[in-house]
Amino acid sequence: MALLEVENLTVEFYTEDGVVTAADGLSYQIERGEKFGVVGESGAGKSVTALSLMRLIDSPGRITSGEIRFKGENVLEMTEPEVRSIRGNEMAMVFQDAQTALNPVYTVGEQVAEAVRHHLGYDDEEARARTIRLLDTVGIPDAEARYSDYPHEFSGGMQQRAVIAMALSCEPDLLICDEPTTALDVTIEAKILDLIEELADEFDTAVQLITHDLGVIAQVCDRVMVMYAGKPVEKAPVEELYYDPKHPYTVGLMSSIPRVGDTRSRLQTIPGTMPDLVELPPGCSFHPRCPYAEEACTLEEPPLLDPETGEPVGTDPSVEHSAACLEYTGVLTEGLTYEIDVVGETDEPLTRRAEGN
Amino acid sequence: MRRIYESEALHRDDEDAFSPSESDRRERPQAFRWVNVSRLSRLLFPRRLRTWAVSVRIGTPREEYPVGARVPFRITMKNSLPIPVEVPTASPVLWTWTVDGHREASHVPVADPPDTEGAFRFDRGEYKRFSKRWNGLFRVSETEWERAGPGTYTIGAGLNVPEAERKGLYDETTVTLVRE
Repeated sequence: MALLEVENLTVEFYTEDGVVTAADGLSYQIERGEKFGVVGESGAGKSVTALSLMRLIDSPGRITSGEIRFKGENVLEMTEPEVRSIRGNEMAMVFQDAQTALNPVYTVGEQVAEAVRHHLGYDDEEARARTIRLLDTVGIPDAEARYSDYPHEFSGGMQQRAVIAMALSCEPDLLICDEPTTALDVTIEAKILDLIEELADEFDTAVQLITHDLGVIAQVCDRVMVMYAGKPVEKAPVEELYYDPKHPYTVGLMSSIPRVGDTRSRLQTIPGTMPDLVELPPGCSFHPRCPYAEEACTLEEPPLLDPETGEPVGTDPSVEHSAACLEYTGVLTEGLTYEIDVVGETDEPLTRRAEGN
Repeated sequence: MRRIYESEALHRDDEDAFSPSESDRRERPQAFRWVNVSRLSRLLFPRRLRTWAVSVRIGTPREEYPVGARVPFRITMKNSLPIPVEVPTASPVLWTWTVDGHREASHVPVADPPDTEGAFRFDRGEYKRFSKRWNGLFRVSETEWERAGPGTYTIGAGLNVPEAERKGLYDETTVTLVRE
């Protein structure tokens, strides 16, 4: 049994403009100790998915269908006290914007210690000592003195570390990191990612890492799910995703990664923007931006398919690599004509580049 | 120190775990901050008067479009009263549009809203305008669409209330799709 099993999760937001389907039939699993990446552009539904796992979707959003099984128990059927007992304890989250996630009127130490007291039953002194150790572990210098600092006295990187300390305070089995490094500069980003990896290995914590940065995914994750317009378009082990991407959107993301030594005068981009989730295009949601789209793509929406057999994979966990593209049903006449241009050492995923024709 | 879970901010109903705090929609900032005018209007004005106050109009820039072209249309809703009104809706889906009676031009359900009531709130004298497009296709299954052929189609829009047409909360227009 996997640590986390998400099956056909659908989340809808009821707005004045219409129904926003932020997550549409998502299914995936995360094993114990595994690092699972979720990647996609802004608005792809990554954060909504993460918030759903913690049952933190608030009005006007609703989880309308699906199951989220954590250690075999359906989170969606738990009572609020039951969810509260696992939230921050067995399942913790590093929020995207640490400055917003921290309460400005409480000291950083108190905010971390609160979770320790609440979930682990420590008294004030024990919680304080554990919090200082945690702050020290995540690299806050002079943790004892900084325990009493307020969030505004911390730099952005330190705030992010404090939020990570808070998430790790109860040694969760699942750590959900929602773009933990988006607001940070690259040097701090590298340190934070190393920290998450180290701590995950140390505590044998499973990590769901949400990002729009494929470089981050390459560094940290074992498996990846690429999301577009609230749906998964490709799922694969990280190496396969980089060496052999199967969906045109993934190829587009790959080709937009800047690379040292690249002679192109401009970075390649995916033309257009993510569609309005209230008014999704018919057929494959990516077809208006896809260079390989054909008539069939406008009339039929492909499910996740096994690229080898063309069979829908459904929720079958044994199929490691799947992509939602009609190419694999044999419907497309022109096919996908991109080439994978391998540059540099073959054991380094970040040096690979995908180019569309 | 007051904890977040001691406040009512994260209150959820144990019977329906996905029922968010009831107060969210009704307690949003009001035009008059010293009095909750929408609550007052709910108390003072009967539902019939509130639905009477709101009107719905739909229009397209042209009457004819080529087959396969997108048909843009605009829905305008207006509260003609000088006070805010709130119209209760059958579900959290506040309004819908249809093509030949098919919601969002789909032969299959496009959303699965919960069975709880919603409320569509209009400020005093407020106009709400929504621009939508019909892509000239009908959704025939969860994963398939079909092109609409040449002919006349009725595009309608209305609030998600029972008997919306009779209550004046629905309007429709027709467009003709022609071969180029």
